[in-house]
Amino acid sequence: MSNTLISVKNLSVDYITDTIPIRAVRDVSFEISSGEIFGLVGESGSGKSTVVQAMMRILAPPAIISGGKVIINSENIMTATESDIIRFRWKRISIVMQSALNALNPVLSIREQIHDVLKTHKGLVGKDADDRAKELLSLVDIDYNRLDSYPHQLSGGMKQRIVIAIALAIMPPIIIMDEPTTALDVIVEREIISKIIDLRKKLGFTILFITHDLNLLLEFADRLAIMKNGKIVELDEVKNIQGGGEHPYTKKLIGSIPSASGTRQKGLLSKPDSLNFSKDPILEVQNLEKVFQSPGLFNKNKLIAVNKVSFKVYKGEIVGLVGQSGSGKSTIAKLVTRLIRPSFGSIFLNGKNKKVTESRNVPLEYRKTVQMVFQDPFGSLNSVHTVYHHLARPLIRHGLKSQGEIFPFIVDILEKVGLAPGEKFADKFPHEMSGGERQRVAIARALSLDPEVIVADEPTSMLDVSIRMDVLEIFAKMRKEKDLTVLFITHDLASARYLADRIIVLKDGSIVEENTSEELIQNPVEKYTKQLVRAASPGWLKSLDEISENKGGKNG
Amino acid sequence: MNNNANQNSILSRWFSGIMSNQKAFAGSCIILLFIIIAIFIPSFIQSPTDFLGTPLSPPSSEYFFGTNGQGQDVFAQTIFGARQTLLVGFSAGVLVVIIGALIGGIAGFYGGRIDDVLSLLINIFLVMPGLPLMVILASWLPPSPGTLLGVLVLTGWSWNARVIRSQMMTFRNRDFVSAAIVSGESNIRIIVIEIMPRMLSLLASAFIGASIYAIGAQVGLEFLGLGDISTVTWGTNLYWASNDLALLTESWWTFVPTGLSIAIVSFALTLINFGIDEVSNPRLISERMWRNKVPKDLISHGITPASNHHE
Repeated sequence: MSNTLISVKNLSVDYITDTIPIRAVRDVSFEISSGEIFGLVGESGSGKSTVVQAMMRILAPPAIISGGKVIINSENIMTATESDIIRFRWKRISIVMQSALNALNPVLSIREQIHDVLKTHKGLVGKDADDRAKELLSLVDIDYNRLDSYPHQLSGGMKQRIVIAIALAIMPPIIIMDEPTTALDVIVEREIISKIIDLRKKLGFTILFITHDLNLLLEFADRLAIMKNGKIVELDEVKNIQGGGEHPYTKKLIGSIPSASGTRQKGLLSKPDSLNFSKDPILEVQNLEKVFQSPGLFNKNKLIAVNKVSFKVYKGEIVGLVGQSGSGKSTIAKLVTRLIRPSFGSIFLNGKNKKVTESRNVPLEYRKTVQMVFQDPFGSLNSVHTVYHHLARPLIRHGLKSQGEIFPFIVDILEKVGLAPGEKFADKFPHEMSGGERQRVAIARALSLDPEVIVADEPTSMLDVSIRMDVLEIFAKMRKEKDLTVLFITHDLASARYLADRIIVLKDGSIVEENTSEELIQNPVEKYTKQLVRAASPGWLKSLDEISENKGGKNG
Repeated sequence: MNNNANQNSILSRWFSGIMSNQKAFAGSCIILLFIIIAIFIPSFIQSPTDFLGTPLSPPSSEYFFGTNGQGQDVFAQTIFGARQTLLVGFSAGVLVVIIGALIGGIAGFYGGRIDDVLSLLINIFLVMPGLPLMVILASWLPPSPGTLLGVLVLTGWSWNARVIRSQMMTFRNRDFVSAAIVSGESNIRIIVIEIMPRMLSLLASAFIGASIYAIGAQVGLEFLGLGDISTVTWGTNLYWASNDLALLTESWWTFVPTGLSIAIVSFALTLINFGIDEVSNPRLISERMWRNKVPKDLISHGITPASNHHE
C-alpha cells in the first residue's frame, strides 16, 4: 500500500457516568492510505460514529477520549491544542454528518452557507467566493441558480449534494462521511454514491465512509472494518469480506442481506408449496383516495397522498406494498387499519361492504380482524407500561380470555415470537429490551387478538440488519400456522421479495405495477420498477454509470 | 399480577426517581415539615385569637415570636396560618392541574371542532388580566376560603390547559397511541392510562407551579383585605401587621415569621421543580458530572478532552 494518511492506534472513548465510565470504543486501530475508500460498518451502538467524532474531537460531554493516538498527516490529534484543531478541521479533514438533511441552516441561503466556509478558511469574499461556490455546485451537478435557494426549497438528494459540496469547499485530502445517505430513498442514494465515486476519481481525496449498511459498502469500498460493541471484529479487503469473512459476526451480516437478483434465498421454507388462494379476497380496496388539506381558512394547499388505489388481498397471502417516501404507502396502512378516514373510496373486509367513509366509529369486530405492526418499536410501545400490559389489554378489551387464562396465553404467544422464557419478558418494561425484542413484542400484541389481517408498516426498517430476517420469518411462520394474511409495507424491494408472494409498487400515491414477486423482479415492465430493481441488485454501481452516461448528467 | 399493581409501580418508580434527586428531596422534606406542623402542632398551643398580654411585646421566653397589635401570640398565628394557607394553596394547585389536564387533554386529543371550541375558551381566559379580575371577584363575592379557592382556580387554570394541550397533541400522533386505537381501546382510557402517565413530570411541575402561584396570590389578596379577615392565615397576619403599623412601631416580629414562612415554602417548591427538571432531563446532571470528573486542564472549549494529552 502507498503512504499512510490516517493512523488510529488503540483509540478508546469513555462516557462519564454516575458510577463507572462506560467504554463506547475499545482499542480501535486502523490505517487508511492516501486515496483509499475505507469503510467502517456497524449496527446501532457499535461505536462507529463515536470513532470518527473522536478523530475530529467533536464528541460532546459526557465523552472523554481515554486512550490511544490518532495521527493524521503525521500530526497527533490527541496532543494538539484547541487552536491547532480548529485550524485543522475542514482544511485537512471535513465531515459529512449523519443527519445531513438537518445539517443545513434553514434560515440561511445556500450561498451564505458556502460563503461562510470559504470566508472562514480561505478569506474568500464577494465575487471570488461566488466563483468558487459556482465551481463547487457544478461539481455536484446542481444548477448555479440554486445558490439563492433555502434548504426547504430543495429535495433531500439536493441537500445532500450541497452538504457534500460544502465538505469539498477547501478541497481537504480526507472526507469523513457518516451515514450520508441513510435518510434518502434508494434510487437517490445510488445516485449520490455514484456521484461521490465520480468526484473521488476526479479529485483524488481519501474517504472514510461510515454506515450500518454493509451491502452498500461492498459495492465501492476498498477495505472494510466491521465494528461490534466498540471493537473492530474484522478488518480486511472488501473482496475477502464479500466471500463471507472470517468472524462469525461478519458471516451473519453477510448472510442477512436479502437480494433482488439471483435465486431466492433459503428462509422461505416456511412458504406454502402452492400459492392457491381462495377466489374471494379477504381485503379489497377500491378507488381509495386520501387528500390532506393544510389547516387554516385561507390555505388552499392540498396534498393527494393516495390517489385512486385499488387492490385485492386474498386469505393467507402476503402482499408487499413497495414505495419510496412520499409514495403513500404508510397512508394506505393507516387507511386500511382505519386510523384515518379516506376522502373517497371504500374498503371491503371479508366480502362484506364496510364503507369506511360511513361511520366515524370503527366497530370492535373490525379492530379484532385487522391488526397493525408499526415501524418504530421504540415508539409503538408505551414506555410506562410492561409487556404484560401491552399484551393483556387487547385481550381484556375484546373479552377473549378470562382473568386466569391471560397470563399463560401471553407467555405462550411471547415464546411463539421468539421471546423465551415468556414469564421473564412479560414483566419487562420496553426500555429494558433491545429494538428487536421490542418489535417482537409489538408483533405478539398484533397476534394476540388472532386477527385475520396484519398490516405491517416497515416492521424491520428501524432494526439492526442482523436481526431483520429473523423478524420477517415470524410473519412467514404465522402465515403458515394460522393462515394469516399480511400486508407488508416496505421501501425495500429486496425484503419484499424475500417475504411477499405478490408485490405492488407505489409511486406518488398511485400503483405503478403489480405482479407476483418473482415475475416483478425478473421481468419488470414499468421504467420506475426497473430503476427500483436495479438499485436493489448487487453491482448497481456499474449499471448506474451506464445510465448516467445515457442521461447526460441530468440531476435528480 | 393485575392492572392496579402495574399502575402503582409506574407511580412508585417515578416517585423514587424524583426522590433520589437531592434538590427534590430537600424541597420535599421542607414541605413535609410545614405540613406536619400545620396539621399537628395547633392542638398543643393556645388559640391564636386569644388576647394574651401587652400588645406588640417583642419575642421573649414566654412568647417565642412576641405578640401583635391585638396582643395575640405571633407564634400561634404563624402556625395556625400555615393550615389554611397551605390547604387553599395546594387545593388550588390540584384543581388547576385537574381542570387543565381535562380541558387541555381533551382539546389536544380530539382536535377538530372540539379543539376549536376548547381552545377558544382557553385563549379567552389567557388574555383576561388575572390580577384585576382576582381583585374584583374577591371583593364582590362574600369573603371565605372557598371564594378565594374559586378565584385562584378560575384565573389560574388556562395556562396549564394550554401547555397540556400542546403536549397532548404531540402524543396524539405517536405510534403507541395509534397502536392502542388499533387494539380497540376507548379514547378516555387511552388519555388516562396510556398518555397521562407519560406526562407525569409535566403534571407534577404544573402542580408545583400552580401551588406557588396560588399561595402567593392568596397571600396578596388577603393582604389587600380581600380575604376573610376573621380567619387566621399568613395573608391576614400580614394584613393585621400592616394595619397595626408594624413598620412605624418597629415591631418586626409581627411580619417576619410569616413572611419568612412564605419565602421558605416557595423556595422548597421551586427546589422540587428543579429536581423534576433534572430527573426528566438527565443531560443536565450528566454534564455536571462530566465537568466534575474530567481534570480541569483537559477541558477546553470546543474539543473533546483526551486523557493522554500530555504524553
